[in-house]
Amino acid sequence: MNNRITAKNMADLYREAASRYKSLPAFATRKKELEWNPVSFEELYEQGLNLATGLIEMGVDAREHVGLFGDNRFEWILADYGVQLCGAVDVPRGRDITDNELIYIINHARIKVAFVETKALLDKFIELRHDLPGLKEIILLDPKASAPDLVHKLDNVIQLGAALRKHGDTRAEERIAGIQPDDLFTLIYTSGTTGKPKGVMLTHANMMSQVKVIPIDLNCTDRVLSILPIWHIFERVFEVFSIACGVCTYYSNVRHLADDLKNVEPTFMGSAPRLWESLYQKILKKVDKSHWMRQFLFHTAYFLSRQYMNSIYFLTGKELKQEPASKLKRIVLSPFHAVRWLLVLPVYGFFNVAVLEPVRLSAGGSLKATISGGGALPEEIDRFFNYIGIPVLEGYGMTETSPVIAVRLHENIVIGTVGPPMENTEVRIVDLETREVIYPNSDKPHEGRGLRGEICVKGPQVMKGYYREPDQTRKTIEDGWLRTGDLGMITFNDCLKILGRSKATIVLSSGENLEPEPIEMKLNQSPYIEHCMIVGQDRKYICALVVPNLEGFRDNGISANNLEELAKKSEAKRIIQQEIKQVISVSDGFKRFEMIQDVRLIPENFTVGEELTSLFKMKRHVIQDKYGDLIDEMYNGKPVGVA
Amino acid sequence: MEFTTQLLYPVDQVLLAVMIFSIMFGMGASLTIDDFKTVIRYPRGILIGFLSQFGLMPFFAYGLAIYFDLPPAYAIALILIGCLPGGTTSNMFAYFARGSVALSIAMTTASTVVALLMMPLLLEFYTVDFTSAVSEEMKAAGEGAEFVIPTANIIGSLVLVLVPVVMGMILRAKSRVWAKTAEDTAGFMGIIVIIYLIGTAFARHSGLMLQTPSEIYISAISVGLLGFLFGYWMSRLFKLSPIFQRAISLETGIQNGPIAFAIILLSFAEPVQSQMLWLAILYSTFIVISSSFITLYYRRVGKFDFEVYKNTSIHNRLFGDEYVSDYPDGFLPKRIENDPSQGLIPAQKRD
Repeated sequence: MNNRITAKNMADLYREAASRYKSLPAFATRKKELEWNPVSFEELYEQGLNLATGLIEMGVDAREHVGLFGDNRFEWILADYGVQLCGAVDVPRGRDITDNELIYIINHARIKVAFVETKALLDKFIELRHDLPGLKEIILLDPKASAPDLVHKLDNVIQLGAALRKHGDTRAEERIAGIQPDDLFTLIYTSGTTGKPKGVMLTHANMMSQVKVIPIDLNCTDRVLSILPIWHIFERVFEVFSIACGVCTYYSNVRHLADDLKNVEPTFMGSAPRLWESLYQKILKKVDKSHWMRQFLFHTAYFLSRQYMNSIYFLTGKELKQEPASKLKRIVLSPFHAVRWLLVLPVYGFFNVAVLEPVRLSAGGSLKATISGGGALPEEIDRFFNYIGIPVLEGYGMTETSPVIAVRLHENIVIGTVGPPMENTEVRIVDLETREVIYPNSDKPHEGRGLRGEICVKGPQVMKGYYREPDQTRKTIEDGWLRTGDLGMITFNDCLKILGRSKATIVLSSGENLEPEPIEMKLNQSPYIEHCMIVGQDRKYICALVVPNLEGFRDNGISANNLEELAKKSEAKRIIQQEIKQVISVSDGFKRFEMIQDVRLIPENFTVGEELTSLFKMKRHVIQDKYGDLIDEMYNGKPVGVA
Repeated sequence: MEFTTQLLYPVDQVLLAVMIFSIMFGMGASLTIDDFKTVIRYPRGILIGFLSQFGLMPFFAYGLAIYFDLPPAYAIALILIGCLPGGTTSNMFAYFARGSVALSIAMTTASTVVALLMMPLLLEFYTVDFTSAVSEEMKAAGEGAEFVIPTANIIGSLVLVLVPVVMGMILRAKSRVWAKTAEDTAGFMGIIVIIYLIGTAFARHSGLMLQTPSEIYISAISVGLLGFLFGYWMSRLFKLSPIFQRAISLETGIQNGPIAFAIILLSFAEPVQSQMLWLAILYSTFIVISSSFITLYYRRVGKFDFEVYKNTSIHNRLFGDEYVSDYPDGFLPKRIENDPSQGLIPAQKRD
């Protein structure tokens, strides 16, 4: 039953949702564990119109950029409604914004009016006011915080608009009618892992094309749990999609996630790899702590489902195909897989319901799908959840493509890939050096499947460009093809496989190229390692910076009060070295030059906004700068030879 | 068909006994005192379930035995199966069939207690013709003894199988984690022992499966299927909501097989025992297969109404009992149009 709303623009979508879904809840905010505040589609739209009228009265023009600084909360979406319904553009960013970014964005985007979420953030604005000459009006979102003079409260602006509308003000409706598909709806400054922020211009048409083709069906009976930062396009596209489908979005947060998963029983959510990594570790830990009989039952169940699923993947042609498939091999192996499938089926059936279902309940138990994006999901974890029956799907995209380029669906589950490109989306693989199109290319064997190169994308979701950066835009979009800067290939079952960020590639002084991400991903699975970064650009060999995991060490008998204390312990370093030696070895398929020669423990954790982007991606240049002396130290001494 | 040797060797009997014990223990481990209280919350559902379980099922078993003119020992075994209370397996199936698990558990609990009274009565009532047939056969064979249904023995065996249930309940009260393990282990053992019994029966009595007349297969399979079908329609007739219909349907068709084994082993002797056991084994095997298919089917047809029910009840869980979920016109299927909570939340009822 596909009954999502398709509309011309965001404002149109909001209006249509209100008239179709009326009093159904659109958003819900947590007050207590079992006490949530719903707001209906109708009410939200009505309030949105009031706010829009208030904004127009305050002097916000059509197509003007309005700042929206804050994290997930109902008032955020209300502010977005207000901005969209007066034909303006929002420029969103989270609370963790740094002073420099704040000044840069507000000035670069020429923001005159800004929504600010909290009192603390407001104080920052006031402190920096001399650097923000263009900023005229501030509206405070948090209804509980008190606003100083000259700062508007959200409620007051809404009431202002409501009073005007009562007397027949229809300026908001006129603005809505004037919105063109090519107009911006948002201007998102990428937190970027390199360089200064760039303003990505996304149009109404960009977003509407996504809502139309997202290959998942939701309806009024679904529930979406929101956990990722709303100002990031990956979360936002799902919230807009939810509105189009009449789905209620429940605002959760990291602290309450486990409870909320159980109470809200979401049927869908956008998620980041980090969430599944931590759930994976939690499940394994719980199993390890249970008594031997339970452990036995769990391992048997997992073993069986692995056998069962792998046979299904093989029989339906869903296994990862990086090389051309041999027909003979297929014919020979098929009967074996069929027999294994049949033999395992009855016992798997029992274990699936008795042992694996309770495990699934740790993710709420009702998930129809969750799309993991914003970074690569380690294959082991990907497999784990799909084997036990939690449909973790992987998506691929970037802010510049608003954001989904490809998504792996349940019906087409090729683990290790991000699935086929979305409808209306074309993908090319381009040779990094010669810029030759190697897929699709009829001159190459198999039309270029299996060849690696840079992924380029063309489709209705590709951004209009970078705001006030024509050079950057020209460099990024060539003839309508957006260069993603990511390495990938098309598998032999026509799915896209991501092989790493081309910009993260480390070139050793010997000329060998290596991708640090697969190595880091492998290391991150160790209970002792919280984060790690591989370094070695232009050096002879690679080394690693490691943030040790306090809890992991504590569980294994080495306790420390903080990371600083732990990082000083030579024993901790020794354990990490051993761990690295065990995990990264030639027998595991790593090359000789991928062996880590030395390691340093970092005495403090990475934090979002500083070393990490809001989606937990490492900002490599920041870490490199901050720990430059530790890195140099590793290369000044002789290689210790961990491996 | 005659059994030239015993169907089960002593070692198998021991195995079977261990299985019965652990399954009943596992059943107890899944129950709490609250489940007995739940019975009171669903009087209508329980009553209709009771009618289909102790009204329809024995009658179908009897009807099949008459229709296929089954040999008396098989007929008695079939009727015995028809008179059994529900087992915990049905709770698991109800869960996956998107049925009401609470009702399923309540029905299992209630029927197990009521069975102490109902089973002997129903057995006496339906098996009269067949016991006299057995007696005549025995007389013809020169054994002289009169065959009667060993009522006292049956009650005794029933009480005996309830002992591990109570033990399981005690474990549950003491440790949830161990109780869950006991439950899973029991289920796992059940599967293994059934596979073993069929395997050995097949190996030792080569051709037993082929020799068994098709009527016996058909009856062993149909008794469960009829239970599913009529359990569903009867509750539909009484206008119960879909989630209750699915639970009652499965509860009616799925009987507590281990109790049948216990009663047959403890209360019946040769020449009827082996034949009765064979039928019980056949029933237990096929019921797992047919309920799996029925469950997959219910899961599919019940998907939408269950999702509406789930979403509506979560609204009430999070937004308060008074919250009314108003779905767009024409969105809800007719059967739950007037109450998307399917009778579970008063505020959701419309006129």
